[in-house]
Formats: sequence, structure tokens, C-alpha cells
Amino acid sequence: MEEIIFGIGITALAGALATIAGAAEDTESDIGSQGDPNSQVQLAPQMGYIHRIFNKAIAGEPPAYGLWVALGAGLAWAFMAMQINPILAIVLGSALAVFVQGVYATTAYLGRTASLAKFEQPVYIDILKSMTTVTMAHAFVAIFAAVAMCHLIISALGHPFPLPLLGLVWGIALGAAGSATGNPFYGKERQYQEQKFGAGVPISASGNIVRYAEAGERNSLDNGFFSAKLGGPASGICFGLIVFFELWRTVVFEPIAAGWGAVIVGVVVILIFAIIDRYIEVWARKTFGPYVAPEEASS
Amino acid sequence: MSALGGPAQTSGVQSPTGMGLIVSIILIIVALALAFFLVQMAGLLALVGIIIGGVLVGFGVHFVPVGGAPAAMGQAPGIATGVAMLAAGAGLAGLFGGAWAAPLGFPLALAGGAIGGGLLMAITCTMVNVVYIFGMGIPAASGKVDKDPITGDTFPEYKSQGTEGHGLPFISWVGGVVGGALGGLGGTLIYLELLNVYQAQMPALFGASVEQIAPIAVSLAGVFAIGMFLMNAVLAAYNITGTIEGPHDPKFKRFPRAIIAAAAASAVAGIFAIGLLELLGVF
Repeated sequence: MEEIIFGIGITALAGALATIAGAAEDTESDIGSQGDPNSQVQLAPQMGYIHRIFNKAIAGEPPAYGLWVALGAGLAWAFMAMQINPILAIVLGSALAVFVQGVYATTAYLGRTASLAKFEQPVYIDILKSMTTVTMAHAFVAIFAAVAMCHLIISALGHPFPLPLLGLVWGIALGAAGSATGNPFYGKERQYQEQKFGAGVPISASGNIVRYAEAGERNSLDNGFFSAKLGGPASGICFGLIVFFELWRTVVFEPIAAGWGAVIVGVVVILIFAIIDRYIEVWARKTFGPYVAPEEASS
Repeated sequence: MSALGGPAQTSGVQSPTGMGLIVSIILIIVALALAFFLVQMAGLLALVGIIIGGVLVGFGVHFVPVGGAPAAMGQAPGIATGVAMLAAGAGLAGLFGGAWAAPLGFPLALAGGAIGGGLLMAITCTMVNVVYIFGMGIPAASGKVDKDPITGDTFPEYKSQGTEGHGLPFISWVGGVVGGALGGLGGTLIYLELLNVYQAQMPALFGASVEQIAPIAVSLAGVFAIGMFLMNAVLAAYNITGTIEGPHDPKFKRFPRAIIAAAAASAVAGIFAIGLLELLGVF
């Protein structure tokens, strides 16, 4: 019994760490325009809209986070093998992984933006200086939380994978959850804030992203501020729920029916999410109603 | 384009070419023969398991509703990320669960892997709709079909002007969960087969007990399983070319070509994974 209570505590802690990791991951990727909305940031200058948005999308979020979390986990693992305290080892491993992320962000911004030279998009050095450090700070939070979560899963719950491998697995899953949940909010609600609320962006409006803020030109720090309100927390809840339910069903229900308890509970949880999804889908159809074309063209 | 040929960038059915079929079958037979030659019957059976696992991954990716960049602007239905990436996220979460349940037996590990992948997709797909509905005020609408095959909801009147649809209709949600479950199942199957091979070979090769080699065997099998998973997911993504809404999308009918490609690629990659230790033994 004590073992199960201990397991539930670790599960809750891992779920909380995953929530933090998910929220930081999405905010980081939105500041760097690393998710799918990067296509619009890259397209805008080609359509004549010069902007000051940071763009470091030379890899999707899942492989990028797979790399950084695996790197942080691998280094932490090596430090722990050198008898360094696990907390310190995870901090050091994550900090070193963040330097790789910083180099990645710098070269990616320079490369992506320089490729737009013929469309007269400048490389802004002040953007590079101010945005890179902010993405690094968010990346540190995401990597540290993810590596700490993986360490808990191995040392307290006894998963057989070594730390770097688990870092790769959960890093990719972190990027997948964060990009899936957070991207539409950044892409539609922020980049196309001028478009009508409650409707998709018409294809004819592609590239016409919002480039001006309350005062002066909009930059990616403004976008991070916006994403942190809903896209980031939603991604955090998404990844937190994934980690929590994955661990919870195993820790609590595996002793039942020779292990099949965990599988049955997994199926039940999937069905509950099916009901929630269907409920909000029907709610949206009833509440928002069919699409009504605006009186003026919105593009 | 794919080595299996076929016309490029058209929707609907794209059958594998005769040449592609013949080359794939030859590759699979050669790989199976090599597996038998290197590790006898156990190797042959392990490679068959790996091929089935790879095929499940390749087939499963076709179910996952992926909208890519247009989905991030509410211009197309699906999840706003890449095909291979999302499938990899789900499949690897399944592999995590499957590897954890491995000591409890083969069927339970496979079921654990499938549920792990399905659970990730169920939560992710639900959260996508939460953001679309409560963050952006956009109800789901498919661009490929007028009516949801499961719920019977109609879509044309909900579709925004100038878009191909948006959000995740229920059929896409179900497709996502099925795809995640198949991916988790396939990834776990590859992992378990490789783990069995390594646990049988390593003690003799290194002169150590099964417990001593367990960390190396688990790591090696895990790395190869992740690698083969990504390979099959990317192959399927090439077959899909861009975005897919799920099992109701006309592009879904292209899956036979991906199955053949996944089988051939898994056979070739699998023989390297299985024969790795034999090669180490030779040198």
C-alpha cells in the first residue's frame, strides 16, 4: 500500500513537471516561431510584408526537443555517474543543453532570415540579441522539467530505459504535444489577429501577418506574452495529462488482474476523453452556429 | 519521390508499381534468408515480428489527422504539426508503456504499448479541439467529406469562407486514436523482438549473466525501435505528401503502397539490428 501511495505522489509530481515543461515548450517555440506558423513568418517578406518576428524553424519541435532533452538527460546521466548530486547534475545537464539550443537558435535565425535577402528582409541584430536569450530561458525551464520528470520515472518508478533514451522518447512526445496544441493559437489568433474571430484564415490572406504592436513594430516577445495566456498553458495541460495518465494507470492499476488492470483503465480513460471531445464539439456547433460570411471581405 | 514510383501529387488511390513490388519482395526474402543464416529460426521469427511492427507503424500513420502549417491558421482540418512528428510522439509514448510492461509478458506489453499511443493521441486531439473551440471560437469542419461518417454531423455550413475546413471532426479524433494505438503497438513489437534477440545472444558473447547485460540490451533495443519507428513514420509521411484528415480522407487509400515500403524498409533495417551482434562476434 505504501508503495502505491509513494507511486501516486511521484506520478503527481511527474505530471506537474510535465505541465511546466509543456507550457514552457510552447511559449519558447512561439517566441522562436518554431511551430508550423513559421511558414507564415517566412512567407510574409516574400509577399512584401517586412517584419521583426524571430524565426528559428529549421527543425520541427518534436525532433528539436528530442535532441535537447536527450542531450540534457545524457549529460545529467554522465554527471550522476561521476557521483554528482542528481539535482545538480540535472541543472548542469540542462544548462549545457540550453547552450546547444542557443547556438541552434542563433544560426537558424541568421540562416532563415538571410535567405530572404532578395525580398529585402533585414537581419536585425537587436532581435537576435534580445530574443535568443529569452528562448534559451524558456528552453531551460522546459528541458529541466522534462529531464527531472524522466529521472523520477526511472529512479522512483523503475522504468527500464536509461535516462538519455527516456529523454529522447519524452522529448519527442513533449514537442508533439506542444506543437499540436499551441500552434493554432499562435498561428491563427496571434499572427492573424486582424482576421475575424471565430473563423479560419482565408488562404488569400496568407503572409499578411500582423506586424505592428500597440507602439512600434511587433516582435516575438509580444508573441510570447500572448501565447503564455492560453496556448502555453493548454500545451502544458495536454502534456501533463499525457504523462499523468500514462504513469497513473500503470502505478495504480498494474497490480490488478495480472497487469491487465492498467490496460482496461487506459481504455476507459480514452473513452472518457472521447466523450469530452464529442461534448465540446456539439457544444461548439450549437453555441457558435454555422459560418456567416462577414459583410466586408476580411483579407 | 518514393523508390516505389507512382504518379506524384495526386489525391486518392496510388497503387504500387510492379517494379516496386518485385524489388520489395526480393529485399524481404533476402533479409529473411540472412536472418535465418545468422540467428537461425529465432532470427527469422524476430525479423517477421519486426516487419509486422514496421507495417503497423506505416499503416497507423495514415490514420493520424495532420493538417501541418494550414491547420495552424485554421485553413485546413487536422493537428497543426508534421505527420511523422506526431506519429512519432504517439508511438514513442506507446513504446514507453510497452517497455515498462515487458516483464509481465508479450500480450500485455503489446496492449500496454497500443494503449499508451492511443492515450497520447486521445488527450492531444481533445486539447486541439479545446484550443480551437475555447481559444479561437471555431467549430470543427472537414474539407474532404460533407458528413461525418460516425456522428452524421454535416460540415459545409460550418466551414469558413476561403478555407478547406478546420478543427478536428469526431472521425479525425477516432482516426488519431487508432493511429496512435497502431503506432504504439508496432513500436513495442519491434522493441520486444529485438530485446529477445539481444537477451539470447549477449550473455554468450560477453560472458555475462542476463541481468548484467539487461541495461545494454534494453538500450540497444530501444534505440533501434525508435530508429525504425521514425523510418516507417517518415516513409508513410512521404506517401501521404503533406496533410491528411484521417481514415475518411481519399489519401488514406494510398496505404497499400506504404505497407509494402514499410515492410521492405523494416526488413532491411531489421537485418542490421538482428545481425549487429553476430557482426561484433566476427570482428
